[in-house]
Amino acid sequence: MGRALIVDDAVTVRMYHRQILEGAGFEVDEAENGVEALERALVVPYDLLLVDVNMPKMDGYTFLKEVRSTPELRAIPAIMISTEAERRDREQAYRAGANLYLVKPVRPEALALRATLMTARGESR
Amino acid sequence: MGLVKRAEHRAAPSRPHIRKYGRDLQGLLAQLHDDQAKARRWAARDLAAHTEAVSALCERLQVEPDPTVREAIFGSLLTIGTEAVAEGLIPLLRGEDAGLRNGAVEILQQLPDAVGHRIAALLADSDPDVRIFAVDILQDLAHPDAPAWMLAVVEADEHVNVVTTAIDRLAEVGTPEMVPAIQAVKDRFPNEPFVGFAVDTALKRILGNG
Repeated sequence: MGRALIVDDAVTVRMYHRQILEGAGFEVDEAENGVEALERALVVPYDLLLVDVNMPKMDGYTFLKEVRSTPELRAIPAIMISTEAERRDREQAYRAGANLYLVKPVRPEALALRATLMTARGESR
Repeated sequence: MGLVKRAEHRAAPSRPHIRKYGRDLQGLLAQLHDDQAKARRWAARDLAAHTEAVSALCERLQVEPDPTVREAIFGSLLTIGTEAVAEGLIPLLRGEDAGLRNGAVEILQQLPDAVGHRIAALLADSDPDVRIFAVDILQDLAHPDAPAWMLAVVEADEHVNVVTTAIDRLAEVGTPEMVPAIQAVKDRFPNEPFVGFAVDTALKRILGNG
């Protein structure tokens, strides 16, 4: 299916999303914050990024802006997943470079389906 | 090109530029709004010696575009570490800038005396995102009541993301006597698959099976 990077500071959330994506056939790596994720993404060719908003060291918006401004990373599809359901948060996510914004907690089948579709059609910016 | 470069170099000498300000409180506060990030960064660092600068530092944070200056401001606020710092940073939790929110959380985690008596109000806030930030603060707050506060969130908060954030944190610091309260969350959110996963994961870790 492809290789996904989960970026979230909450261990339980990373484990939950890993279980869903592995069930959908993805190989999965994890990072605790945007800084660690950028370092990983520069050396591993990912097919999908699953990104939280609020994280220490580098938040999800800043991470996605960095991804979209880095030539070798800018085409990777990215799903931003946040607890914040306000319209302004959704808009901020898309401005930062997200292809899709989901609100936690996500339904397993919904995340698996969207991740599969996004990587299958090579969705990118 | 060479002439232009020399002219630019003459126009922006860093040290003399900074020296145009006094090194007292008023001079540093003026320097905090300099056009050059380097000058603002030095001012932010030196203001760590002035407890009266807290409100000016917090105000500057909200408009400061340079991440290194923000970092210096956060560092000085941590050094000052007074009640006023907590009072100045808590409003940032409601802001739209995720970097500022997370920076504020990281500093507040290190100020248990100033934050402890404000936690109850944060955990009762009407905005669930603020309550999540309060749980994030509790996660690394060196306060004896922190685990009990998180347990209270697990038992009483009505928002699934606030509760699961607290469960995630309790998985690291929870004790066996907290197990019934954590287990009971499944009954309150029976249709949320993530809740069941979070509870099971936390119980395994608390009981030493995960």
